[in-house]
Parts: sequence; C-alpha cells; structure tokens
Amino acid sequence: MSDRMFFHELPYRTLPDALFAAPEEKPFVTNWKNKDDIESVTFGEFKRRALTQARYFRSKGVKPGDTIILIMPQSIGLMAAFVGGMLIGAVPAILAYPNFKVEPTKYRYGLKGVSANLKATLIVVDKDFPDELTKHISVGEAARFIRCTSETLLEPLTEAYHCRIPNDLAFIQHSAGTTGLQKGVALSHAAVLKQISHLAPAIGIGPKDRIYSWLPLYHDMGLIACFMLPLVCHLPVVMQSPADWVMQPATMLELMSTFQCSLAWIPNFTLQFLARKVRPQDRSVLDLSCVRALINCSEPVRASSMDEFFSAYANAKLKPGILQSCYAMAETVFAVTQSDVTGLGPRRIWVDGDTFQKQGRALPTSKDAVGAVCRVSSGSCLPGTQIRIVSDGGEDLTPGNVGEIVIRSESMLDGYYNRPDLTTKAIRNGWYWSGDLGFLVDDELYVTGRRKDLIIVGGKNIYPQDVEEIVSLHRAIYDGRVVAFGRYNASLGTEEIVVVAEVHDESDLQNAETIERELRSSIAAELDVGIGSVYLKPPRWIVKSTAGKPARSTTREKLFAECADLQVPGELT
Amino acid sequence: MSELGIKMIEYIVQEIMGGRDARIDENTALVSSGLIDSLALVDILFKLEELTNTRIPAGKVQAKDLDTVELMFRTAHRVGKPKK
Repeated sequence: MSDRMFFHELPYRTLPDALFAAPEEKPFVTNWKNKDDIESVTFGEFKRRALTQARYFRSKGVKPGDTIILIMPQSIGLMAAFVGGMLIGAVPAILAYPNFKVEPTKYRYGLKGVSANLKATLIVVDKDFPDELTKHISVGEAARFIRCTSETLLEPLTEAYHCRIPNDLAFIQHSAGTTGLQKGVALSHAAVLKQISHLAPAIGIGPKDRIYSWLPLYHDMGLIACFMLPLVCHLPVVMQSPADWVMQPATMLELMSTFQCSLAWIPNFTLQFLARKVRPQDRSVLDLSCVRALINCSEPVRASSMDEFFSAYANAKLKPGILQSCYAMAETVFAVTQSDVTGLGPRRIWVDGDTFQKQGRALPTSKDAVGAVCRVSSGSCLPGTQIRIVSDGGEDLTPGNVGEIVIRSESMLDGYYNRPDLTTKAIRNGWYWSGDLGFLVDDELYVTGRRKDLIIVGGKNIYPQDVEEIVSLHRAIYDGRVVAFGRYNASLGTEEIVVVAEVHDESDLQNAETIERELRSSIAAELDVGIGSVYLKPPRWIVKSTAGKPARSTTREKLFAECADLQVPGELT
Repeated sequence: MSELGIKMIEYIVQEIMGGRDARIDENTALVSSGLIDSLALVDILFKLEELTNTRIPAGKVQAKDLDTVELMFRTAHRVGKPKK
C-alpha cells in the first residue's frame, strides 16, 4: 500500500458509512488515564458499542432529527454514544463535563439555556454525574435526563442504521461562548466528509499515521481532527483528558513516543507549556522521531513559541519541519488553511512593526531591522475554500493589508442552530465573516488578531460579555460598568483575561483584595478559566460609548496608557 | 501548620501568584476559587514532590486533589512513591 492515501472523492455518503467500512481488527481508540488504566478498542469493537448505544437511545424514544446532548467525561463511551446517536439519525452535541469548580445553581441555569436553544430531546450523563446538578431542573417539555451506564447495555442494533442522506445533519459543535451566547454549528454529513476529503491529503495522511490528542471532544480541534478524521480515514488515535494532560504535560510526548504517534493538533500555548513545564530529565529520555507533524491551531501562531519548543527538545530526535500551522474554526467544520507539511515549517516574514500597528499594513523588512516583527503563516487555503481580506468599508484589500478574514467553503455551516439572528450577521451572500483579522502574502494567510472581541485562553474561546456579566453581579461592582479583554501573555504563549471594573463607591477600593478574590472565584466557577489581572477603578473611570455603554477598546487604551507594562510589542491595539 | 505546609504556601504566594497580596492558609481553596489557574498545577506538583521527597505518578491525581495545601499533602501521602 502507498504511504499516502488519496481522498479527493471519499466513497462514503455519511459518517457511519465510513465507520462501517473500517477494518474490524484495526486499533481505533486508546484512552490513557494512567499506566494502570488504559482502555483500547478496535474499529469493530467501537462499531458494536456505537450500535448498542443506538439501540439504547432508540429504546428511550429518540427519533431521527432529535437532538441529544451528551455530558460525559472524555472516554470511549462518550465517543460511542456520539456515533450511536448518528446511527439512528439523531443529532448529537457534546457539552463540557462539569468539573469540581462548578456552582450548581449556575450550572443548572446554563444547561437549561443550552438545552432550550438546542431543543434537545435527551440529555445523557454518565453514572458519576452529580445529582445536585440535575435536581429541580426543567429542561423543557420534551427533554429528559438519562444516565448512560454499562448496566444499561443492550444487544447492538442489527437493522440498517437510519441516516442515509448526506445532507442530513450529522451533529452540532459549539464555536464559542457559554450559556446565553453559545453558538451551535449544525453540520451535515456531507460538510464533514468534504472537509476531511480536503484536509487529509493536505496533511499527507497515510495508513501508518496515528494521532495523539489531549483536546476536548466538545472543541472542533478535538472533535474533527482527532475523532472524525481518524474515524473516516481509519486511523488509530491515542487520547487523554485535558485535565490529566495539563497537570502532567510530559505525558503528551511520552505517549506519542510510546505509541509511535505521528500527528497531533495543539493550540499555540502548548509549545511553550511543554518547553517550560517538562523537566529536563523527563525531556532527555524522549525519542520523538515518530512525529510527522505537530499542527499549531486555534490561537495565533507565534514564532517564539515554536522556536522555544524546538530548542527545548533539541535532543529528542525531532525531524526538522514538524511544527506546522493551520487556521480553523467550527463554522467551516474545521480547517480553512493548512501549511505545507512537506516543507520546513510555515513560512515566516518580517514586517515593520510601526507600519503594522499604525497603518495595518505588513511592510516587509529584514529580520534584523529595528522594530521588525515576525509573522508566521497559517498556510494556504484548502481546496474548495476561498478567502478574501476586507476593509472596514467592505472593500477587498490587496495582499499585505490587514482586514477581516472572510471565507467561503464547501464545508461551511448553513447557519447557527436555532439562531437566525446570529446567522444573518455572520453569513452574507454566501461568505462567512470570521471576525478575525489577517493579511495575505503569496496566497498564504497570516492571522494577526480579531475584530470581534473574543478572548482565546489556552485555545479556549471566551466571550468578554460572559466575563463582564459575571463581574457585574458582584455587589461592590457598578452593574454594567465592567470591561473585559484579552492580552497576550508572552510567558504563557496565550492570552490572559484582563478585567477593568468600577466599584460603586470609592471606599470599596479598600476591600480590593476581597473583591478581587470573589471575582476570580465567580469566573473560575462559571467559565472554568482564570483571570490574568483585575483592575478595580473608582466610579466614572471606564470610558463609555456614545450609546452609553462601556467602550471596550477605548477603555483598554486608557488602561494601557496608565499601565505601560501591559502593552505587548508587535500586537495590534 | 506543618513546616512543609508553610513552605508550600510561601512557594504558592511568591512563585505562582507573583507575590500578589493574598492571604492563604492550608484550607484556602486555590483552583476552585480562581486564585490560581489550573495551568499552575504542574508547578505545584513538582514542588509537592520536592517537599515530600516522593514521585507522584502521572494520571493518578486530579485538580480537586490539589485544591488546598492540606489536600496536597494528603494526596502525596496517598499516591506518592518514595524517590529512589
């Protein structure tokens, strides 16, 4: 067999078709918890588990087209339930599993909102899901909670599975946000298969590839690149939970080495995290010669992070050019662009920092020039995908000029699930307005920031509105006089959240430490993310827009003017 | 509070929280309260191994097991293996 597969026309009409075509005995998923707790299934075993889940869902009255919410820990059981839903033509959606930080009342409220938005029929939780999170919750007339446990296993479904139409919805993945702002992206089988038919050859997928992942399955990078791609291309995947990885990051590279994994997708901060948080003695024993590509995705790609990683692992037998890049989003199923994996890594260009910041123009300069800023390419468009760079006035910009990235793709979403208001804003004349900023040079995309105020912390998308709403609820904070924004933290390799909040009364500032502590606690409980810095300010400090609302960008500039050390060289402000 | 507990608190305040003005004791919730980010747990694990002279096996500890200084030492006692 050739070392490379060809996917221009996948011979499947639906995702279950691809699973049913997989070799029965080939390893599929290995879920690693610790060295004494490793679960593995072949494609054949996985198929039987998915069929069993399908029968279980059917026994609970789930019908084709019904939405099923899955809230289970990262596991083969979750993956089988996801595919099991698809097998009877239902539309599964994975939500994050609550961790120990969650506050029950707020969790129940959020779940009710998401359930209503998705018009879910069934909410499936595991046997360990805390009772207190489901008590006294009404999730709509049609929706019911069920616990999915091994005791409920039935015989696998034997009749032909239901979904046969490529344009039927396959599943819903969420692009960003919490509760009220969560946007469900509904994707058809055809869209997902089209994406994989373009992505797989772009990264040179071959039969010997094996994927490693610590990425959550409710995120597009975990769901598409590390679950749907291996399912369709019949590749093994080794995974661990994000919570386990973040506590002991060395395990990622140890598992890649042990299981001979060739591919992984990672947000940018991972590179610095691995370089700084894995002890030299743990690094020195690694042989990573099996790795073909680590694809940097979900956050702007930083040259410094890539260089730091390569330097830290200089003795780990890394092949040159394994660090690659990609620009992806849930709205296009996953990848929009991909760097050339046969090259020596994504292209880098140096631009004049002053021109870039003040004029939004990438003026090439030499690497050694004063004020030169390095930009890393996210690669060129996948086949079937087009990009335009558009000015504030809606005009197409020429190469080198920074504007909003606007995308048209064969695998694009039809709309946000049950959110026509958001769909109308985001999709105009068949083009998706990403809200991201970037420029093109030689048909390669360089992503530079965001027009919309999304904050990306360690690959996790956080809406500032969510942060501001939570902070506003504090008794000492002037309701609505809060601004949250992201700031790149060079030592973490990712953004951190900065909060500026006005207190009701200047005397409240004497209790700043207590207030800050309470705000951090609320944000952690609701958004599962830490705050970088909190700035409590006296009344009337925050700049308001003409509409009387806090002006995020102007307030940020005012804070930066006051605290010069907050500014990050080379970043658009 | 034990001497090791005091050392751990000093480490958390100085190295993890950057000397930020915050009073913590052995029962202060750290991650669940948002005082520290879960990305810092890897450093805390290393410090815990150093202070207790143990090796804590990968995948045997969850974030909730390290949420307070008291829990940290209890966890090290439960799953830590003496360093060779």
